[in-house]
Amino acid sequence: MSESSNYGHGEEDDDDEEEVADEAGYKTSKDAVLFAIDVSESMLTKPEDSNPKKRDTMLSPTVAALKCAYALMQQRIISNPNDMMGILLFGTEKSKFQAGDAETGRGGLQYPHCYLLTDLDVPAAADVKQLRSLVEDDDEAADLLVASKEEVSMANVLFCANQIFTTKAPNFSSRRLFLVTDNDYPHASSRDARNSAAVRAKDLYDLGVTIELFPISHPDRGYTFDRSKFYNDIVYSATPSDPDAPMPLTVDIKPASSTAKDGISLLQSLLSSVASRSAPRRALVNNLPFEIGPGLKISVKCFILFKRQEPKRTSYIYLPPDSDKPQIAVGSSTLVADDTARSVEKVEVRRAYKFGGETISFTVEELAKIKHFGDPVLRIIGFKPMSMLPIWANLKPLTFCYPSEEEFIGSTRVFSALHQKLLKDKKMALAWYIPRKNATPALAAIIPGAESRSEEGEQQVPPGLWIKPLPFADDIRQAPDINLVTAPDPLTDAMRVIVQQLQLPKAIYDPRKYPNPSLQWFYRILQALALEEDLPEAAEDKTLPRWKQIHKRAGGYVVGWGEVLDEQFREWQRGHEKHIKPTANGAAKRTKAEPASSGGGAGAKKVKAEDGGEGVTDADMRDAYAKDALSKSLVADLKAWLVGKGLKGVGKKAELVDAVTKYFETKMDVD
Amino acid sequence: MASKEATVYIVDCGSTMGEKSHGRPQSNLDWALEYVWDKITTTVANGRKTALAGVVGLRTDGTENLLDSEEDYAHITVFQELGQVLMPQLRKLRQELVVSQTEDGDAMSALIIAIQMIVSTCKKLQYQRRIVLVTDGRGTMQADDLADITSKLKEDNIDLVVLGVDFDDAEYGFKEEGTDETKAENEAILKQLCDDCGGAYGTLVQAVDELGVPRVKTTKPVPSYRGMLTLGNPEEYDTALAIDVERYPKTMKAAPPSASQFVIRSDMAAGEATQSTQTMDGEEAPNGTNDGLAAVKTARTYQVDDEKAPGGKLDVERDELSKGYEYGRTAVHISESDQIVTLYETSPSFDILGFVDKNQYERYLDMSRSNVVVAQRTNDKASMALSSLIHALYELESYAVARLVMKENKEPRIVLLAPNIEPEFECLYDVELPFAEGVRSYKFPPLDRVVTVSGKVLKVHRNLPNDDLQAAMSDYVDSMDLSTFGQDEEGQPAEYGSMDETYSPMLHRINQVVKHRAVYPDTDPPPPYEILTRYSQPPSELLKAAQPALSRVIKCADVKKVPPKARGRRYGRKEAPKPLSELDVSALLAQDPKRSNKQARIDPKNAIPEFKQLLQTSEELPQLQSACGQLKTIIFDWIKHSVGDSGYGRAVEAIRVMREEMAEMDIAAPYNDVLRELQAKLLGGELGGERKEMWYRVRVNRLGLLLAKECEGGVSEEEGKAFLSAAPAAATSK
Repeated sequence: MSESSNYGHGEEDDDDEEEVADEAGYKTSKDAVLFAIDVSESMLTKPEDSNPKKRDTMLSPTVAALKCAYALMQQRIISNPNDMMGILLFGTEKSKFQAGDAETGRGGLQYPHCYLLTDLDVPAAADVKQLRSLVEDDDEAADLLVASKEEVSMANVLFCANQIFTTKAPNFSSRRLFLVTDNDYPHASSRDARNSAAVRAKDLYDLGVTIELFPISHPDRGYTFDRSKFYNDIVYSATPSDPDAPMPLTVDIKPASSTAKDGISLLQSLLSSVASRSAPRRALVNNLPFEIGPGLKISVKCFILFKRQEPKRTSYIYLPPDSDKPQIAVGSSTLVADDTARSVEKVEVRRAYKFGGETISFTVEELAKIKHFGDPVLRIIGFKPMSMLPIWANLKPLTFCYPSEEEFIGSTRVFSALHQKLLKDKKMALAWYIPRKNATPALAAIIPGAESRSEEGEQQVPPGLWIKPLPFADDIRQAPDINLVTAPDPLTDAMRVIVQQLQLPKAIYDPRKYPNPSLQWFYRILQALALEEDLPEAAEDKTLPRWKQIHKRAGGYVVGWGEVLDEQFREWQRGHEKHIKPTANGAAKRTKAEPASSGGGAGAKKVKAEDGGEGVTDADMRDAYAKDALSKSLVADLKAWLVGKGLKGVGKKAELVDAVTKYFETKMDVD
Repeated sequence: MASKEATVYIVDCGSTMGEKSHGRPQSNLDWALEYVWDKITTTVANGRKTALAGVVGLRTDGTENLLDSEEDYAHITVFQELGQVLMPQLRKLRQELVVSQTEDGDAMSALIIAIQMIVSTCKKLQYQRRIVLVTDGRGTMQADDLADITSKLKEDNIDLVVLGVDFDDAEYGFKEEGTDETKAENEAILKQLCDDCGGAYGTLVQAVDELGVPRVKTTKPVPSYRGMLTLGNPEEYDTALAIDVERYPKTMKAAPPSASQFVIRSDMAAGEATQSTQTMDGEEAPNGTNDGLAAVKTARTYQVDDEKAPGGKLDVERDELSKGYEYGRTAVHISESDQIVTLYETSPSFDILGFVDKNQYERYLDMSRSNVVVAQRTNDKASMALSSLIHALYELESYAVARLVMKENKEPRIVLLAPNIEPEFECLYDVELPFAEGVRSYKFPPLDRVVTVSGKVLKVHRNLPNDDLQAAMSDYVDSMDLSTFGQDEEGQPAEYGSMDETYSPMLHRINQVVKHRAVYPDTDPPPPYEILTRYSQPPSELLKAAQPALSRVIKCADVKKVPPKARGRRYGRKEAPKPLSELDVSALLAQDPKRSNKQARIDPKNAIPEFKQLLQTSEELPQLQSACGQLKTIIFDWIKHSVGDSGYGRAVEAIRVMREEMAEMDIAAPYNDVLRELQAKLLGGELGGERKEMWYRVRVNRLGLLLAKECEGGVSEEEGKAFLSAAPAAATSK
């Protein structure tokens, strides 16, 4: 049987060396969000006291919601490329349902005044474009965004959403309906209609769809959204009725105001509400046993809070001969035997290790036993002060863990006691860590992390314990040999002033201020290509140092430091006159001084490698370049010099000369 | 690159080596071979052509060596000339290194042979030369040539290691009582020899013991960046600071060897191939085909959606495809020449952005393995300059934050630079920091207080520790302190479980069993070395002392395991969930004529909600069976009418829901019956033809039979496993 892997690929397929981490056991761990946006007269009315200078504040609530959906769609294509999104307008004059039903013409009849603008799916470039033209082109909006004269049935809207989720996102672990409306009391005159809506809402609940309500108030019209009239019959909450129960992790969204009070426009407040809900929280490991001591076990959930985002890998694209619409080719793998090319069942496969020119094989059972170091556990074996954790002791991002009462009642209070103690005494735990079944065991430091909040009171980093797998002796590399010349005190003093001048704000690193420039560039280009826009010209790079500021604040001190360095180094050399260093070939060479400010850097305090024997200097190379004599240089010199500049030092001589030439062509301003 | 090495093992095979001494279960030779095999297989595992090994048998029945015409060199057999040892040689050696019938054979002569072997192979080339002699010291030895041997060993720079079976070793603390005279004499001679030539002399028990301590491979440092570390922009300002530095890895995960996939060759009967290492000739064969196994390759096929094609998918060849990206579900084709546009152009640089406070730095920001930044080697001025930065950071308790581009057009990364000062070594350690995109803002409630639904802040709550628990935990943490629990080399208190004394369990475990199987193909793998699991439990001595504190924590914590299942909804019905308003939706449902219980039919369009709602009012087995039966019909229908895999997702979801609901009801039969029927129909092709893919999805979603451990009436784990692995009867391989 072919092991088709066109879904769950990358997770299921991970060479099953390690069991995959999965959310709720066996659901597709994907998220589907359907925006349901109310298109009523009042939702289409622009706020009265809007500020014409600020375009944002001129938006009608419906358009603001669409803009918000548009922003979310673009963002999710990047951050959650496998997740689905759709947009359903309700209360429109026009009706439209899924494409398949269009042929039969049933769609419109089935769900009158529901207009499925974007069917629930992984967004396509066309969806983004369509949405953009709707929010940016008033004519298009005028055509579609027309409120129906009769009231739309909420039961129908909810069932419509039900059908969209049922057919388009089956077996998703997270399905959410984002409902944007300013009408807190639909079917005001019909209890039956309201009751049918409540029944359809229960259907959605049983289907596993969460309704997130984004209510809108109109202070300018003296209207405040009241959930209790209708929506509390529709929305279910995980919150138990116990008033002493801890507050749910995400609080109910406060009604957004359609007017731009406090300078916050409706769009902005919608955006921030949606952003707080945008990513469903996914546990890496659910209910990992956390053994604090023999006989004291609690359970924790593990989460990834920091992860390196990589640009997308290239995919295979098929360009059909009869159309210009490229298609994504979905690959699937089949295992085949090398000798006969017959396809192979997974159960037939044995694992073997290459050894001494042959293979050493084990049965599946043997290998399972060999690799088994016990069941998943996080087991504390003792405690140490944090000061015993050197800064270099790291291999990968840390895993966040937080207590869970699902397996052991009382987990939270024990966890809290441990967390508070470790924080207070700046201690860490050392633990034996097997995150998943058959995972490679690690020794990990468990370090406490305090809660951190922004000035607005928004939680930035949650409180909890962090699991930091430590390197084993095998993972620690030897230090390179160096010839240490310790800085004399005056030089260190000079440097100290510089360091003091250039503290980052609040003396901390705030990752939120540093978007990854490569990633941003990649997606801007990709988006431009996908939407057939013009390519942007220059990238914005917030990771570049603020050179001007550095120059202003510390420039003078750097010059001072450079002078001290020259002076101290001359002195050091006098003390080491006899310092003769044998080189590899046995010849002796004297460590020679370097003019203080070398290179063309116009006085820049560069500290360069000594010349002679080590290859050519910048000056030599520049000279050769100026005289057009690069081709007379030795290949080895060219290579060494290019590598020294971090450029590729490979290829034929002509290519090397080209590379050097290119370098100087772009750097001519320096000299 | 690791240096070339040449090692000759001299193994005493004399008849006395067949004895079993000191209550050991195996003969002295087998015991000695434990050491020898470990060393040789380690060399084999390296797979390096420049790691040579030779084996000389001492006191063998036969005689075969360069000088075998001379009487002094009798009963010495060169089993393996110096060369790379591979599996065939290993197998041959295994058969040859057996206890002989003789006591004759001179260890000194064997040494001379071994020296000869090294000299003639290594000549004057750069080799690490070594001779390892393992003997029980009970053969006769001629000590006349001792001086010559010593000078020859020294002259050729050959390391000598002598390991004696039950030799006395004061340093290790081993003393054999009643050693016979010959042995005592020989021990003295060998010790003298080792002392003279600077060799190592030891007792075998120590060497065998030390096999349990894994060896750490050293890797030559290779710089990942060479260039300037700058502060300010030297191209624009004349006040910029630049120091020539080099950056090397500090930590790097040493991965365990990975297994390759094989199948038993189709021309082999299954039984033949179980002895996987059974080959007679010594020839190296590719892909391991000489041991009855064929390598497994992955063949990739590609499909695109095509409405016209049967099944809605069109197979396309790899070479019909070109590269591109996915933007959402849209394919964006980027021609080969345009690839560059997505690249953010950078040039190598290492720029300091600014400085941060060490004490405010949160360790959870560490993103990557770490590196070490040192001044350009051979550049004393740079060394002095960097040293001033290191010392300034150290004195100010600060770290630097820098932007690093390792190579041209590599993406910029932000790293933290932390100072490190040792007596003869200074450096900056660097570790990557997250970018904005790498931060996930999941929110969690505070742990030291409880904010309630009604907005109150509580300090006393069942989720918060009370003072007793807090105090007990504090005592427990303090009493389990590892910072002085270990011992250093002088026996002084030191850190327990420091990183340099912990070894990667998986790496060494796999190396251990692979090496073991290479030598003993027919025995079960040995248990793991003690050191690999030593840190899987708290040290028992420490625990004993901490027990009172721990007991108090346990008592105050009062942690209770949640019972396996709040035993079935059937017995204590859970209340139906209600919306925020607590509106009784069940009552509304009951009023709905279409949904009222008696003649309720599940609407396929709203199958899952209605199935769940039906169960709310069902208690008896027949009702449950009827509900599952209805859903079953719907599921079968979806599958039967599925175009390609279009209906599979819904079917899988419905199966999942049925399974979950029945598990919660604590009754297996209704679900298990449905699943059995489903399997039979799927594999029998009764649901609209070939539906292998659907069965595959049931399997990968782990929707097997309900197990006995999950609920009442479930099947055993074996049965569940066997059920899931059932393959289609007539599996047609493409």
